Amino acid sequence: MNISRRTLGLGATALSLPGLVQAQPATIKFGFTAALTGPFNEFGEGINRGAQIAVEECNKAGGINGRMVALAEVLDDQLVPDRAVQNLRRILDNREIVGLMCPSGSGPTLAIADMIQADGRPIINPQAQTPTIVYPNGLDKPPRPNLFSVSISNTVESEKLAAALAQYSRVGIVHESTGYGVTGAELVRQELVKRKPGMRVSVESYNQRAQDMTAQLVRVQRANAEAMLVIGLGADFAVIRRNMSRLNMNLALFGAAGAVTMPYIEGAGDLVAGTRAVNHAAFGRRPMHAAAAKFVDLYRAKFGTDRWYGQDAANPLISLAATVGSGYDCINLLIDAIRRAGSTNAAEIVRALDQTRDFAGATIEKISFTPQNHVALKLEDLGTYEMLKRGDRVVLELRD
Amino acid sequence: MNRLRALLSALVADWRLQALLVLALLLGAPQLSPGTVQIASFVLIAAIFAQSINLLTGLAGQISLGHAGFFGIGAYCTGVLVKTHGLDVTIGVPLAVLLAGVAGWLLSFPAKRVRDVYLAMMTLGFGMVFFEVVREWNSVTGGTMGLPGVPSAALRTLTILGIKVDGLAYFQLLLLITAATMLAVRNLTQSRIGRAFYAIHISEIAAGSIGIPAGATKQWAYALSGGLAGLAGALYAHLVGYLGPESFALPRSIEVLVIAIVGGLGSIAGQVLSATLFTFLPERLQVFAEWQFIAYGLILTFSLMLLPKGIGGLLFEAPRFIRPGARARAGALHADAAMLRPADQGAALEAERITMRFGGLVAVDDVSLRLEPGRITALVGPNGSGKSTLVNVITGIYRPSAGQVRFAGRDITGLADHQVAAAGVVRTFQDPRLVPHFTVRENLLLGAHRQLRHSGVAAVLALPSATAEEASQLALVEAVLALADLTAVADRPIDTLPYGTRRMAEVGRALLARPRVILLDEPAAGLSEPEMERLTQLIRDMKAMGLAILLIDHHMDFLADLVDDVVVLDSGRMIYRGDIAGMRGDAQVIAAYLGDEAAHA
Amino acid sequence: MMDDFFFSLLLAGISVGAVYALIALGLNLTFWTTKTMNFGQGSLMMLCAMLTVFLSSQGLAMALAVIGSLLVVAAFGVFIERWTVRPALQASGGSMGWVVSTLGFGIFLQGVAAKYFGSQAVAFPDVVFTAQDFVTVFGQYVSLQYLVVLAVAVALILALELFVRKTVWGQAVHAVSLDPELALVQGIPVRLLVLGSFMLSSALAGVAGVLIAQIGGTVDPAFGFDLVLLGFVAAVLGGMGSSMGALAGGLLVGILSKLVGGYVSTAAEHGIAFALLMLALALRPQGLFGRPEVSKA
Repeated sequence: MNISRRTLGLGATALSLPGLVQAQPATIKFGFTAALTGPFNEFGEGINRGAQIAVEECNKAGGINGRMVALAEVLDDQLVPDRAVQNLRRILDNREIVGLMCPSGSGPTLAIADMIQADGRPIINPQAQTPTIVYPNGLDKPPRPNLFSVSISNTVESEKLAAALAQYSRVGIVHESTGYGVTGAELVRQELVKRKPGMRVSVESYNQRAQDMTAQLVRVQRANAEAMLVIGLGADFAVIRRNMSRLNMNLALFGAAGAVTMPYIEGAGDLVAGTRAVNHAAFGRRPMHAAAAKFVDLYRAKFGTDRWYGQDAANPLISLAATVGSGYDCINLLIDAIRRAGSTNAAEIVRALDQTRDFAGATIEKISFTPQNHVALKLEDLGTYEMLKRGDRVVLELRD
Repeated sequence: MNRLRALLSALVADWRLQALLVLALLLGAPQLSPGTVQIASFVLIAAIFAQSINLLTGLAGQISLGHAGFFGIGAYCTGVLVKTHGLDVTIGVPLAVLLAGVAGWLLSFPAKRVRDVYLAMMTLGFGMVFFEVVREWNSVTGGTMGLPGVPSAALRTLTILGIKVDGLAYFQLLLLITAATMLAVRNLTQSRIGRAFYAIHISEIAAGSIGIPAGATKQWAYALSGGLAGLAGALYAHLVGYLGPESFALPRSIEVLVIAIVGGLGSIAGQVLSATLFTFLPERLQVFAEWQFIAYGLILTFSLMLLPKGIGGLLFEAPRFIRPGARARAGALHADAAMLRPADQGAALEAERITMRFGGLVAVDDVSLRLEPGRITALVGPNGSGKSTLVNVITGIYRPSAGQVRFAGRDITGLADHQVAAAGVVRTFQDPRLVPHFTVRENLLLGAHRQLRHSGVAAVLALPSATAEEASQLALVEAVLALADLTAVADRPIDTLPYGTRRMAEVGRALLARPRVILLDEPAAGLSEPEMERLTQLIRDMKAMGLAILLIDHHMDFLADLVDDVVVLDSGRMIYRGDIAGMRGDAQVIAAYLGDEAAHA
Repeated sequence: MMDDFFFSLLLAGISVGAVYALIALGLNLTFWTTKTMNFGQGSLMMLCAMLTVFLSSQGLAMALAVIGSLLVVAAFGVFIERWTVRPALQASGGSMGWVVSTLGFGIFLQGVAAKYFGSQAVAFPDVVFTAQDFVTVFGQYVSLQYLVVLAVAVALILALELFVRKTVWGQAVHAVSLDPELALVQGIPVRLLVLGSFMLSSALAGVAGVLIAQIGGTVDPAFGFDLVLLGFVAAVLGGMGSSMGALAGGLLVGILSKLVGGYVSTAAEHGIAFALLMLALALRPQGLFGRPEVSKA
């Protein structure tokens, strides 16, 4: 069930290589803290791999103006906010680190956001979805000057979801009781009411890992909802889907990014058929755009068809974009900005990042930032997938 | 190993070395990288937090699985006050400590009704409820999004009284606060409060018998522990600057419990070492990469098997509960056991028509008893005749089903055991109930608990007035030690001493509680011949002081030339009252004892 | 009038309550003999489910996979007793060190599972019935998977009650729970009983793990921890050591939290169990079915 372990070991060896080249002062160094181990390492280990691929690719092409790049500080926080704070301090203490990547989740990222802003060095957020990470004072206020994001932002995701849900007039939203779930649900609700003033939306919350969702579901049922949206992790979504089946509940079912993951697809089995969910469009398009295709090939060459990639070499999992691709894009954006700035000075890299125009990312086809906009993701970068049963396999089809 | 322990204990107890260590860290910190300083700050906060567990679990014996709740109350209180309401840190942090202390005090009311596993679950419930409340109370705590931007050292936004405080200065401030906290906890441990905490830890009934109220003592323990945890939480808030609910969930409660237990409950230095270890451990374990979860689990699993008393027990001697300063001062004082004579004379204890039923069983049936000052009354009867039950009724452990206990004309029926003791009615137990880890001297000083009246503040600050009061009681302890022939073993822990010595120590402890009535439950059982003589003399001394004495014993030779009156119970009923000579001829008594104690009589 | 909304909530409450009761039963067993509970019980639930997935993926028949996993988990029970609980109980001071050591072993197992099976949730196969199987009672769908849990919980409670009341071994367990030292003097093989209780408790955790994993459909290394907390609540509410109490406590927690979730707010569903726990302990410290402790003077 797990083919990736040996390659993981190789990853660790690759990781220690930068130590060898540390003697050369010309090396350009990056750092990050993420959940590399522990119960939540799916995303942390993912961006770590993405970052490694980006670094290797850059060095193979001769580095940045002849200077090699390296991941000099890669620390493990296991998604514990305190540990992320301690790790980030250690990374920031290393004055040679010129660019960073945010941790692999909203909790630790919120905990370190103020700190990195005070420091001023550029940092790019691969995965955390909460909007306040980028815009601490509200969406209409300026972003943190040095923090950029390529993640699936809650704001864009909710717009996409609302567009799909607007065809109904009564919608139930069931969300996990985390920052991600609470803001996501609120944003979708606002967006729906804005689009369709008469819309009735009922919102219910659950705790991660809850084993029974009957109370949430019967409340949605009582509100006569025609469609239901779930914002949460794949495993919890599977519990919800099976619970719906036990209640013989049949309505149009939508999911946020967490739905397009193996735990939901495997955990809910045949029941997933018909579920629609939002995620990166890039990996679902055929042909993929060039940068996405290149990244997919690099990943398969280095790590093979493992649990991040999926068994099918021709069709990598859609989730590969968010788990691994986002880390790849973060480091590439930093490399690009340093190249354009011609400097490793923090302010100059940040200025260059602010001027990023149509950078070809793997997960987002064209990445652009301005001093007012630090969120790369746009509505057209997301796709709505429908899960279909083909023989004994579940396939995802990009609908729009 | 023992000599090494003694050496290390002497070293950590030396105030010059303590001062040197603090000074070295204060002056050395600028040489360290900011990252190291920050982790060191986390260590100090963990050390303070661990002390709150040490106080509650190590001293007072009350387990808690919800301490992250108090930690969180402290953190959110100062976070909200300083960030949202713009108060200064010097107001926010003390209010946070106060609020967490009040929360602890409130929790003590339900908590003192339960023990062991039930207490663990109740405190677990407290932590979980706190977590849910923080998550849902959006308007104040920021809910699941948390409370960002709390003025803090990490963000370089912290100002205290208008002075900007960076990470280094904050560490130095934390160091001073931690040092002060450790001193305060040590002082508290070596005061009447610390001894009382430990006494209820070992046995609430024994503590009650010398006038230490279990309930009120637990309330203090919870309030102090909550306050300390709140202090740690408040300092944490101004270190990291972001408060999210996940930081105050069950894992933090477990983490602090682990630090405290592995550090060695009761040992302050052990806990500091453990806090250091467990804060740095995750960082160091990173080299194990995916093995680190396994390594952490193994450390927890086997630490107690390898170090049953934790790091503190491995490296240091057991903590002591009397301030060395007080002992030094006591050495210069001289006290006479005659000072133990009750101030007012002439009060009798009357138990009238006492009946005690347990379900259908009648343990004591309509028994009346009168204890006069300066008289010794023996209470005899076969096993199970209700002697101990009667003593339990008189001393407030049981409330009688019927009947009345009066002392000095006042109705004391149904008073709590510690109130009965406070009124001057003190007892000993059939099996000596001393504090096993205390030395003989500490156990005896525990008896004088009620005589020490200095405030908690005076105890924590080790004010001269408090030390003087302890010293004067210690001088009395010295006199009783001499009277009971215990001077030679005064500094030995009780659990290392033979049974007879423990019995004498218990009688001595009861005497130091200043009784006007003393009830001795089989004090002679298990004593050697010389010890028995010593005890006889001690009882005569007490009689001479004008105490009313009740003596339960089977040993007729021992009683014969000692007692004035005899009361005989059989199956809960009184079958004889009178002098000892009359008892020997009483037909009912002979029948009750036939083939049993009759042989002795 | 019994409306569908209420009935659905009630059924769900009974279903999850049965799950809590089943976990509480396992916790009770070791409490009988040693007055301890395995704080790493959740990891045993996880391990048994994970092993079942692994063994069945190796081509083993489902029944064999479950039995094999249960045996492994029961063997871990022996290890837990010998290497975590016994040393902690022997340590002086009567401390609650076993909380730390059993928890530590749970974390260890979680780490091992994450290392060898990965930390992502893996699909759990249907063992008995599927999520679509149901019967109708009063026009309501009642899931067969939940009914199995309820049936197993009730059957085990009856079996345990019979065992304790009617058999010699049951009497021996009762004697050990009252006074282990006295039991030892009376010639009761206390060590064997303690070991047996840990094996059975671990196996029960395994049964619970397998039955619950098939309801949710997935299992991951952190599976079980939250469930065990609610199992604790059920055990304590019912009165530690009481089998009937475990069932009553489990059903009470399950039904009440579902009703609160349905009628008040789903956000309050989780917190209510613990608020109930605190309230119940404050009012009745010995639990619903527990006997008050007689204070011995």
